[in-house]
Amino acid sequence: MSQMISSVFTWVNKRLPIANTFERHLSKHPVPKKVNFWYLFGALASVALIIQIVSGIWLIMPYENTEEGAFASVEYIMRDVDYGWVIRYMHTTGASLFFAVVYLHMFRGLLYGSYQKPKELVWIFGCTIYLAMMAEGFLGYVLPYGQMSYWGAQVIISLFGAIPYIGESLELWVRGDYYISGITVSRFFALHVVALPLVLIALVFLHLVALHEVGAGNPEGVDIEEHLDEDGVPLDSVPFYPYKVLNALVGIGVFMTVFAIIMFFFPEGGGYFIEMANFEEANPLVTPEHIAPVWYYSPYYTMLRAVPDPLGGLIVMASAVAIFFVVPWLDQSKVASIRYKGIYSKIAIALFGISFLTLGYLGTVSVTEVRKTVSIICTILYFSFFLLMPIYTSLEKTKVVPTRL
Amino acid sequence: MNVLNHRGIIFFSLLLLLVSFDVFSAEGGPCKDYGECDAFKPQLNNTESLQRGASVYLNYCYGCHSLQYSRWGRVAKDLKIPDEIFFQNLVFDDSIKAGDLMKGSMSKDESALWFGVAPPDLTLVSRYKGDDWIYSYLRAYYEDSSKQYGVNNLVYPGTAMPNVLLSLQGKQKLVCKDAPLLASNGREQRDDMGNTIYKNKCGFLEVEEGTGKLNKTEFDQLIYDITNFLVYVGEPAKAERERIGWYVIFYFLIFTAISAMLYREYQKDYH
Repeated sequence: MSQMISSVFTWVNKRLPIANTFERHLSKHPVPKKVNFWYLFGALASVALIIQIVSGIWLIMPYENTEEGAFASVEYIMRDVDYGWVIRYMHTTGASLFFAVVYLHMFRGLLYGSYQKPKELVWIFGCTIYLAMMAEGFLGYVLPYGQMSYWGAQVIISLFGAIPYIGESLELWVRGDYYISGITVSRFFALHVVALPLVLIALVFLHLVALHEVGAGNPEGVDIEEHLDEDGVPLDSVPFYPYKVLNALVGIGVFMTVFAIIMFFFPEGGGYFIEMANFEEANPLVTPEHIAPVWYYSPYYTMLRAVPDPLGGLIVMASAVAIFFVVPWLDQSKVASIRYKGIYSKIAIALFGISFLTLGYLGTVSVTEVRKTVSIICTILYFSFFLLMPIYTSLEKTKVVPTRL
Repeated sequence: MNVLNHRGIIFFSLLLLLVSFDVFSAEGGPCKDYGECDAFKPQLNNTESLQRGASVYLNYCYGCHSLQYSRWGRVAKDLKIPDEIFFQNLVFDDSIKAGDLMKGSMSKDESALWFGVAPPDLTLVSRYKGDDWIYSYLRAYYEDSSKQYGVNNLVYPGTAMPNVLLSLQGKQKLVCKDAPLLASNGREQRDDMGNTIYKNKCGFLEVEEGTGKLNKTEFDQLIYDITNFLVYVGEPAKAERERIGWYVIFYFLIFTAISAMLYREYQKDYH
């Protein structure tokens, strides 16, 4: 029997590079031996992606992508489908936690210079994944067709209308109708379950292939490729299996515990993961008291609100996301890690973090004069972090990076 | 660091504190003129409360407010009411089967004509309004002759719904009375002699004695049961969800512990 299996394996392996690929990219792939918890969020993001795909497939089965049926079918899932509530909460909790780990993953990148030469493409693929996720999350949020789905979509789609000349026709083209309707729901459904997941999976694949080509980083910013053993394996590395796998497993355990606590005890996440108004079916005649996006968009929503002119707001919001793409060329520092960068970089990243969180909070509450001023200041701080980066990274004194990890 | 710098830091922190006071100040509450909503703590394992709540709901509310995503049989099963008793006493239409949705019996167009708006479906009211809100709303009716049905509501001023439970609660009125004046720290203010200072304040709810079938405790319990039932209907799987949750968390804690031990063991290879 075992002989037969091994001969089948040999037959396949001669025609398909299974063993080679497996060794090169998984079992024997060298990873830096000393990293910290910040380096777990990439693995957690892939776990979240898998959870979203699997729970998503099961949600598609009973979901109805029509204006009349959408909201009721979600309640049908919550009540009549066996353990439908498990699948649905898995998907809603998963969406928020996917964004949470991706934000932490991106912040790790900024902290330890994970975008620096030669990792520019890894970073750019990552930014594109983030962009695709934002679209995916928005489209998915419309599908349950609650009040916040409807009015959130109304706000976001009307942004297209702010674009000069083509705005109005573009808005109509996206919506597929003169107002948000079943046509909008069913096209968003198609994009949410087929088009964007394909894009996401392709991008994740590219992100990983590019990463494996240049090698993973570490919090010291040491280039482990400079000291190799006689087989060409970096001296400061360990094979992915079992070392990195076990490391990730601990992180996955903690992540899943948090996931379960939220999913089983606080699935609405205090109104931040599932907004209360979204338990009311979409009603074009009644505007909710205040329209707030889910928490993961709220920093950008605050920026949009901080600018009085719609087109200006749109430009600011789009630039806030787009600016991530050019970070590899904004950072002029000779060192990668924040540990060896100077005081300017440390202050800059701290202010950036604070302004991002404050912007996030402000997007979930109503506007007052003071809040508006604070949001303008935070928007300026947010952009200063990026735009002043070429200056402060080249001016500051850096520490000497060790040669070994 | 010199002194000036410290002063700068203190000044900056004070400014930040002042700004954050405004930034994080509370929004207007959902209970409007009532002030803070009364806190509600559901008891989804209290079957008797849920049964009483269901019975009151079906007798007093269901005539106007459907529960269109919920099914009759599921309610009977979850609330442990035997089918014969349930269908004989609480379902007022012989043609209804256990698997039917609780769609209500009133036509939306006619009711809109009678009340100005069609009474909303309440399957999910506990999720979009919140249980605190329902519990406060149903107890905040007061006599107001200027309104169509002679009543108004502190939680929902100008509500279109008449006080259906009036015969049980009795006539509740908005009264003014002498209340202790509170200082900004929440304590009662006293004069120089140490006596509490009273001030005439309005906006208190008081039931005229002997006008209702239930006393205040009984009526509050009744509203508790209705609210509890609406929390159940809003998410019938909630009790089971929390029960299963403990097992799942327990599993992942063990999983984390074992993988952490294994990781530490393997780490010895390269440390």
